[in-house]
Amino acid sequence: MSTDTPLYLTGKQCRIYRVRVNDLEAPFIYNDPTLEVCHHESKQRNLNYFSSAYTAAVSAVDPDAGHGELVIKVPSELWKQGDEMNVLKVYIEFSLDQPKGGLHFVVPDVEGSMAERGAHVFSFGYQNSTRFWFPCVDSYSELCTWKLEFTVDASMVAVSCGDLVETVYTHDMRKKTFHYVLPIPTAASNISLSVGPFEILVDPYMHEVTHFCLPQLLPLLKHSMSYLHEIFEFYEEILTCRYPYSCFKTVFVDEAYVQVSSYASMSIFSTNLLHSAMIIDQTPLTRQCLAQALAQQFFGCFISRMSWADEWVLKGISGYIYGLYLKKTFGVNQYRHWIKEELDKMVEYELKMGGVLLHPTFGGGKDKDNPTPHLHFSIKHPHTLSWKYYKMFQCKAHLVMRLIENRISMEFMLQVFNKLLSLASTASSQKYQSHMWSQMLVSTHSFLKSISNVSGKDIGPLIKQWVDQSAVVKFFGSFAFNRKRNVLELEIRQDYTSSGTQKYVGPIKVTVQELDGSFNHTLQIEENSLKHDIPCHSKSRRNKKKKIPLMNGEEVDMDLSAMDADSPLLWIRIDPDMSILRKVEFEQADFMWQYQLRYERDVVAQEESILALEKFPTPASRLALTDILEQDQCFYKVRQGACFCLAKIANSMMSTWTGPPAMKSLFTRMFCCKSCPNIVKTNTFISFQSYFLQKTMPVAMAQLRDIQNLCPKDVLNFILDLIKYNDNRKNKFSDNYYRAELIDALTNSLTPAISISNEVRTVDNLNGDVRLILEEITRSLNMEKLLPSYRNTITVSCLRAIRMLQKNGHIPSDPSLFKSYAEYGHFVDVRVAALEAVVDYTRVDRSSVELQWLLNMVQNDPAHYIRHKILSMLGKNPPFTKAAESPLCNEALVDQLWKLMNSGTSHDWRLRCDAVNLYYTLFGLTRPSCLPLPELGLVLNLKEKKAVLNPTIKPEQGLDTTEMTGNTMGVHIPVMGFTSSLDSVVGPLGSSSPEPGQVLQEEDTSKKFKIREDEIDMESPHDSQAFIHHHLNILERPSTPGKEPPAVDQAVLSLPVTPLPSSFGKESTSSSKHSGDHHHHHHHHEHKKKKKKKHKHKHKHKHESKDKERDSHAFSNSPASGRSVRSPSMSD
Amino acid sequence: MRESRSGCGKATSSPAENYQLARRRTLQVVVSSLLTECGFESAEKATVESLTEMIQSYISEVGRCAKAYCEHTARITPTLSDAVVTLNEMGFNVDTLPGYAKRSQRMVITAPPVTNAPVIPKALIAGQKRTHPSHIPSHFPEFPDPHTYIKTPTFREPVSDYQVVREKAASQRRDVERALTRFMAKTGETQSLFKDDVTAFPLIAERPSSIPYLSALLPSELELQTLEETDSSEQDDQTDSENTPDDPGADKENSVLLAGGVVPSVKVSEENMIDNPYLRPVKKPKVRRKK
Repeated sequence: MSTDTPLYLTGKQCRIYRVRVNDLEAPFIYNDPTLEVCHHESKQRNLNYFSSAYTAAVSAVDPDAGHGELVIKVPSELWKQGDEMNVLKVYIEFSLDQPKGGLHFVVPDVEGSMAERGAHVFSFGYQNSTRFWFPCVDSYSELCTWKLEFTVDASMVAVSCGDLVETVYTHDMRKKTFHYVLPIPTAASNISLSVGPFEILVDPYMHEVTHFCLPQLLPLLKHSMSYLHEIFEFYEEILTCRYPYSCFKTVFVDEAYVQVSSYASMSIFSTNLLHSAMIIDQTPLTRQCLAQALAQQFFGCFISRMSWADEWVLKGISGYIYGLYLKKTFGVNQYRHWIKEELDKMVEYELKMGGVLLHPTFGGGKDKDNPTPHLHFSIKHPHTLSWKYYKMFQCKAHLVMRLIENRISMEFMLQVFNKLLSLASTASSQKYQSHMWSQMLVSTHSFLKSISNVSGKDIGPLIKQWVDQSAVVKFFGSFAFNRKRNVLELEIRQDYTSSGTQKYVGPIKVTVQELDGSFNHTLQIEENSLKHDIPCHSKSRRNKKKKIPLMNGEEVDMDLSAMDADSPLLWIRIDPDMSILRKVEFEQADFMWQYQLRYERDVVAQEESILALEKFPTPASRLALTDILEQDQCFYKVRQGACFCLAKIANSMMSTWTGPPAMKSLFTRMFCCKSCPNIVKTNTFISFQSYFLQKTMPVAMAQLRDIQNLCPKDVLNFILDLIKYNDNRKNKFSDNYYRAELIDALTNSLTPAISISNEVRTVDNLNGDVRLILEEITRSLNMEKLLPSYRNTITVSCLRAIRMLQKNGHIPSDPSLFKSYAEYGHFVDVRVAALEAVVDYTRVDRSSVELQWLLNMVQNDPAHYIRHKILSMLGKNPPFTKAAESPLCNEALVDQLWKLMNSGTSHDWRLRCDAVNLYYTLFGLTRPSCLPLPELGLVLNLKEKKAVLNPTIKPEQGLDTTEMTGNTMGVHIPVMGFTSSLDSVVGPLGSSSPEPGQVLQEEDTSKKFKIREDEIDMESPHDSQAFIHHHLNILERPSTPGKEPPAVDQAVLSLPVTPLPSSFGKESTSSSKHSGDHHHHHHHHEHKKKKKKKHKHKHKHKHESKDKERDSHAFSNSPASGRSVRSPSMSD
Repeated sequence: MRESRSGCGKATSSPAENYQLARRRTLQVVVSSLLTECGFESAEKATVESLTEMIQSYISEVGRCAKAYCEHTARITPTLSDAVVTLNEMGFNVDTLPGYAKRSQRMVITAPPVTNAPVIPKALIAGQKRTHPSHIPSHFPEFPDPHTYIKTPTFREPVSDYQVVREKAASQRRDVERALTRFMAKTGETQSLFKDDVTAFPLIAERPSSIPYLSALLPSELELQTLEETDSSEQDDQTDSENTPDDPGADKENSVLLAGGVVPSVKVSEENMIDNPYLRPVKKPKVRRKK
């Protein structure tokens, strides 16, 4: 135990004043290589280079690997004491000055005190991002118990993880300190905080659940949360396990980073999820969000993950049980529809972008072994992932869980979950042996082991296919009926060569509906067999009169006249249960699709046939679709789909179409008055199914076109009448979504203006129909100013409509209206709609001014969600792509984007990845073509890496990342990185210091609710210590607790009480207040203690003196706080 | 005499004024000539004015009295005898009048200029006047307008046809909305979709709000109102309640609730059954002074 072994902690954007280890000043180095990914402004502009540099930078501070931004050199005195010295208390004094990430402050610019203004703050981040607001071991696998104290203005409430033990006024009675204790071992990454003048609602069904919302929203909160207890009951029942934490808090905040984020015993939601009883459409969405959040409480917060590679298990399980909730609450139809939707979405992404890999393994750590070479980012760390990829990752995870369920049955599945949970809760109550806590971490290995233990089944091949391997399966199916043999000859081919596809070998289910009934066949897909002979059960139509039995046992009469007289086949489905992650393109005759649509009861089959019927524009298809539309037992989403399909068919059948425009008479029959068919009934919306249909039909109808490719006059007038006669006075539900969809219908009816070249769009030459449309839109938009609708749905639709009018050349193309609506201060949905229009304008008009404006907003907008959204919309609808030439593509833009992803987005992982994505879309992987050739001409990438290196990244790249290199690198950083670390610390401060002090002072006083999270005590397990025992001469890094040799543990337990009795004695008295166990734990448990101070002060010295005063006050007043440990330092 | 009477009546319209001024001027001429007759060479304007006023009052009084006498005898037009009685009553010896009229030095006064007699505005005729029943002679005054003595409906029979009602409600609402939005657009800032004609399709300029989620999430008062009332509310109500939802800081209750530590203590009394740490009162700091 000789030399200095640094401790690694993570922390970003903090200003660290001093670090003490066991009351000894400890030298430390603070270096965040992700601040600027590529140092030394090189002329490198290729994404390959950036990606590898970025991955290296993230790896260099990856807490999972035991690295971090903050390197503390443990004073040698402590090491000399050797074995006796096993408790390290780390005290860090730091401040966070106007953090750009990690914490988000929402301070509305109105009169009044902070509380009256509804100012609030909350923590946020993508994956493990807690280090943005306090130094910690920001890894999901480092568990410890927590004691948190937050001193806030008396008008504020601080909501954080764990139990609120007490709330105490400060001495001057102007502030309150919230004391939280979280006795369940929790990773720092699952810690969050939210402070604001929240209204408090105790759940009427569960008193340990508390809801918080912003002022004035309490009635909405009451309504929106009235359902939560049912979700609780559902999960507790299926998991046969109580909710693991003793309390649960939901906080609804403005400008949320994501709609739902879950942390230990609390979830932070977007305030926009709240709704009143009048709102239909938002209700299921909000409930789904609640259910997701709660599922993540069990798997994600309580049970954490061993490493990033095990993330899929948590996302999979939480997504899977959320699916079970969907099935129970919204019905099997909704559930199957959702599964199909998720599958389609994921398959589409994988086919386009290449595979999504759930469980990446990085053998050898060589670059060449990159498991996903098709991606332009590394999947080695959550923080280098594209956001879309991560979403698809979650999607695939829960789909795979469903596949496992198909394999081992739901009962076993739930038993496995129960086992994981009960092991974890046993472990969480064990305070003495922290290695037990590893039971609270799930790994792929442990999960698979419990599956095989519980079910006795081997799911190895399944895991290998879908988890260890990326990509999906693409089937093409066709068939022929052999009448002589009465055999169905099915041919199933696969495409496994194009990107994102893999070969499937194994069983596949095929369902054949014959005249005599429905039969399941399991075929074996093998290497070379394409054709499968399936014997048919029925002789072709002997007995016409007989009812036909369906899969579900129902017997129905069918009109069989459409059938092929020789064949008994009604329809065929391949993999009907979606038990393979696949895309199926199956060919069968149009009448078969029609039978499938009419008589197959599975909504997935119905949706598939609707999609297929688009290719068969015949009167028979029309009839089948119309019948489905009229059937009110049919699932409403299928009927919605049928509307759009019918519109497409009608357009294809334009010349032969008879009767009124498609759906018009249907709509009239369903929704208009009997006495006067041109007037729609007054709204009641009693039947939600009809409501959704009523909303959709006009939108679909507006897609109809006549021979001139215009929307038929009939249809347009019909929609205008719907708007005119819409009457919601007697409705207990709001019609805002309906009205918005009517505006959407108007938008859909627009067709390009007949333009004489380069004619300026003026009011005078406005087409008559368009004039009517424009009048409706202006009136609706103006009315919204006076009577805003819920979530401003109508404004959103109007903005889209105006953009469409511009795009079709009816009105002058001009982004200024959208730009004004996109400004900060509008409702987020409105902003997004306006930004979408600006993005579209930028592409169509190739406007560099607008592109600049957008990029400016990406850098400066207060709302993180908007920044993210702009970049992702630019990625989706890019102003130009790498394939095409564009005047926009110039060196300045390359530099700007490069700067954005290199250093401009270091505070937000997600945003940086968005920027990388955009860069990829615009310029591709290689050096952008618009750049001048580098001086030496084209240099190979490999050479470039050698030629231009930055000091931080160099070792990583030079040596390739093996475990050892990681460590040696760590040694390197303090040595060579010292100067650069100074740069990165001083840099931002230096840049902000020119700001006038006055402004800052103002900032201080105005942000009255200074969040003084005075101390965060961490009793961390001794994993890291254990490691140090082993690797004393290399860096401290936490090993997974499971690997820890038990001998170390015993040694630790037998060690005497920590020295420094004066300070620690006080600490223990305080902890003894909580429980005896706790007390004991404090003494005998080796632990690390971190003291943090956070204050929002700029001028360190000035405020430090104040702080000291305050602290001494606080100390004398609240002995219960862990502050006592700090007291000697104060007297110093 | 009738002329002077009507002259002093209420008249404000300009033809009536002209008429009056002309008579008045004639009276002034009369006064002046009488003064000349009496030997005055000049008179102050104010004096002439006072004398004119006096003479006018005198003549008016004569007219009024004569009218009264005639009406007293159930006639409607005064006769000579009425005038004579009146003059006598006012202490004027009528017998001297012929002599005075024939005096030698009297001056001839030109007749007042012919001006149109003021038109008496027609009374509002509402409904059909009743004709006299057979037992009332036709020379009796006509019946007054019916609205003066029997009830008059101020609304028409409501239309009960469903289609018409819907049609009307729809167009009424549309008109109100259009009028209102146009008014708002005219009185405030606007944005325009066209460059050539900024007044066509004016859009009320958007206003960024400090707390945009409030208006977007909270139901407007109108919606709340319709929710409460199952009856249909008047269309006009829309305009009344339009401005209210934007009112910031209307919620006094909230600001009270927000006043810091009051929240838990208030709630505890309400729901003392519930034990929730957020409802517990905030503890006072322990005072520990160094001794």
